[in-house]
Amino acid sequence: MAITKKKSITDGAAPSRGRFVNTGNGPTFQAIDIGHKEYAAVIEPDTAFWSLVPREKIADVFCEGDLVAAYTGKSKLFAREMDMLRFGLTPSAVYFNPTERCNMNCTYCYIPEKMRRKGKHMPEKNLLKALDILKRHFGKTIPKGSMPQIIFHGAEPLLNREAVFAGIEAYGKDFLFGVQTNATLLDDAAVDFLTSRKVSIGISLDAPTAEIADRTRKNWEGGGIFKDVLAAMKRLGGYEGWSVICTMTSANMRHLTKLVDFFHECEVPTCLMNILRCTLPPSRSLKPRDHEAAKHFLAALDRTYELYERTGRKLTVGNFSNILLAIVAPAARRLMCDISPCGGGRCFFALAPNGDMFPCSEFIGLDHFRSGNLFHDDIPAVLDSEPFRLVTGRKVEDIEPCRGCAIRHFCGSPCPAEAHEMNGGMDRMGAFCEFYEEQVRYAFRVIADGKTDAYLWDGWDKGMKDTFRIGSL
Amino acid sequence: MEKKKAKKKDVIALRKSCKAKGTGLSHYILMDKKAK
Repeated sequence: MAITKKKSITDGAAPSRGRFVNTGNGPTFQAIDIGHKEYAAVIEPDTAFWSLVPREKIADVFCEGDLVAAYTGKSKLFAREMDMLRFGLTPSAVYFNPTERCNMNCTYCYIPEKMRRKGKHMPEKNLLKALDILKRHFGKTIPKGSMPQIIFHGAEPLLNREAVFAGIEAYGKDFLFGVQTNATLLDDAAVDFLTSRKVSIGISLDAPTAEIADRTRKNWEGGGIFKDVLAAMKRLGGYEGWSVICTMTSANMRHLTKLVDFFHECEVPTCLMNILRCTLPPSRSLKPRDHEAAKHFLAALDRTYELYERTGRKLTVGNFSNILLAIVAPAARRLMCDISPCGGGRCFFALAPNGDMFPCSEFIGLDHFRSGNLFHDDIPAVLDSEPFRLVTGRKVEDIEPCRGCAIRHFCGSPCPAEAHEMNGGMDRMGAFCEFYEEQVRYAFRVIADGKTDAYLWDGWDKGMKDTFRIGSL
Repeated sequence: MEKKKAKKKDVIALRKSCKAKGTGLSHYILMDKKAK
């Protein structure tokens, strides 16, 4: 017998007009201490809405209607924006590993040693074929006027230089290209080739002196490469499209402020100061404690501001800028590690030298996340495969204590690879938490003090429009 | 150098919007336009 459901008088929704904070259909506001002497933050976590409120007036926000009314008028717009950002994007970038090999043996590398020592290159004809397949795929999925991005990544991509350069030469009009390299093979000819074709170049350096930098970044004989990196930095001087990545570990975190001085002196346009990923066991030996890493990282950010005040020239720390952007302009964020689901498998994917596909470079070397092959399988089917869905389905709402955390959409509980490998599952946190808390608190202090522009690149808000702005209620 | 000083306000709240283009992971800085 068919059962006819009676339509509820509330049509499924609670019979509440949403007038009151934290009850019924009212917004959920969480107040957090941001470590500022005047302000605290009030956050509606699901929509990533925030406001900074004088500490002594926090109770007023919950008891009076002005902020609630202002927020309620925009809440659906904010919810749609977050939904699009979290679930509506499709891949537009590929982290393309043209070789398994590396000429270095860095302690924290996420690619297994055997692969880096004895692995294979992707033959040039396969590399060109792969780019052709990707060109045809993105031709169907990316809006006209947008360019897909190919980042030659590693291992060390310049060990397979001829093939990489052939690909850039042949498909320069079809992709935006980038190369992330350890810089040891970035000689004059390579710099000339890449800069003349406007390829973005990322290099790696962890400290301002050889003694510290060479502790973790060394070749197979145990020798350091500090001098080689410095020589490459000089060759890149004056080029706008280069950047440096520093991996923050227990071995170098005490020297980050000096590293900021060094980068600024070298006129590095942009850097990343990434906390160590703990996906593979060897890297965990360098894991710093959260609060200690945060102390040194925030001191380094302070230093960038001091240098900007003194010289008028910025050193943008890209990963922090991304957190700041996540707060003031959520859809403008560039890096997709600090949102859930992360960008792995949904904004980008990684390609191994044999054509195997992974949700992200972090998973290369983890066989159970291998899913299909670019040369043999349908790309949309791979993107919808179980290993990819494990990553693209990982949400903060399913993770404790993230599901109740006020800053869950400014952090994203990275990273699924280390959550899975280090902590035992996709519903677990990654390696760090308090480190991300402190970054977000710092970002709110930056906003409270009116310093936002100093931490973002010039013209960061070009083309954006204000969807919410209040000074006083 | 021009710096923006925060005025004393009862409440500060700001949100800007644009088309989402997020494509990057932390191992690389993506340029949104070709290097000049």
